[in-house]
Amino acid sequence: MTDARDDIAFIRQAIADGRTFALGRSPDILVWGIALAIGFFANYAALKYGAPFSIGWIWLATLILPWAFTLRRAFRRSHNAGSVLVQAVSAVWIGSGIFLTTLTIAANWGDALREGWMNAVAAGAFGFCFFASASLLKLGWMRFVAAGWWLGEIGLFEIRHTAEACLLSGVMMLLLLAGPGLYILLRGARTTP
Amino acid sequence: MTDYDHTSIDELLQSRARLAIVAFLAGADEADFSAVRDATKMTDGNASVHLRKLEDAGYVAMRKQFVGRKPQTLYALTETGRKALLAYVAHLETLIQPAQSATSKGELK
Repeated sequence: MTDARDDIAFIRQAIADGRTFALGRSPDILVWGIALAIGFFANYAALKYGAPFSIGWIWLATLILPWAFTLRRAFRRSHNAGSVLVQAVSAVWIGSGIFLTTLTIAANWGDALREGWMNAVAAGAFGFCFFASASLLKLGWMRFVAAGWWLGEIGLFEIRHTAEACLLSGVMMLLLLAGPGLYILLRGARTTP
Repeated sequence: MTDYDHTSIDELLQSRARLAIVAFLAGADEADFSAVRDATKMTDGNASVHLRKLEDAGYVAMRKQFVGRKPQTLYALTETGRKALLAYVAHLETLIQPAQSATSKGELK
């Protein structure tokens, strides 16, 4: 019976590796993590030490460039979009990305970004994305990343009126977005059942 | 004991190497030859042989494409392969379930 259990565990692991490989074909998470971390660190530096130009230009670049990267890849792979699960995960991420981008534009328009809640909302959205990805792809470790985002969301809300909120957001982007993105990319490149 | 029939097990999937390929492709949807080889820790020759057997059985479909000027061989699990994997897992589960119920009744203690 142990053999049968071993076989099932072996199959599960190989399927999980296959899913990680499928995810690893898209370095979007890594690209977004680095771009947003740059935006938050630049924002922190501007708040703390001042900036010679409007920080809005940095944010514009750190939003437009990764979007261009993601959309270019999305259009290229539309003819071979992968399994339904991988498509569902892509939809969760792209949908959340559109939500965060439109909310940022709307809040910026209404001058509501000063209230400082946006970082916490973004953290909550990323937590949702990781949790949904973990559930769809049966990748348990992603649930811990989701928990990290939600804990960070609480912390970001508590310090929302300070410059350190940008610093914490930048660190979270590196550790909880770029980090998993890099891990997925490396695992996808060299999977080991 | 159960009325377990060993002849009903899919012989193709009794090989760990082929089982690994099929399960990996079930998750990956489609993967190139080197990804399958690396994922299953096989040599080029072994991977080719096992992939050919799976292809002959209709479990795996192969297609070729060019990335720039470089040829690439891609493999995907077919519907037949997916059903075979599901049947194999279901079979393994039937082996475990009687053992679990027997253990819970204290028959194996």
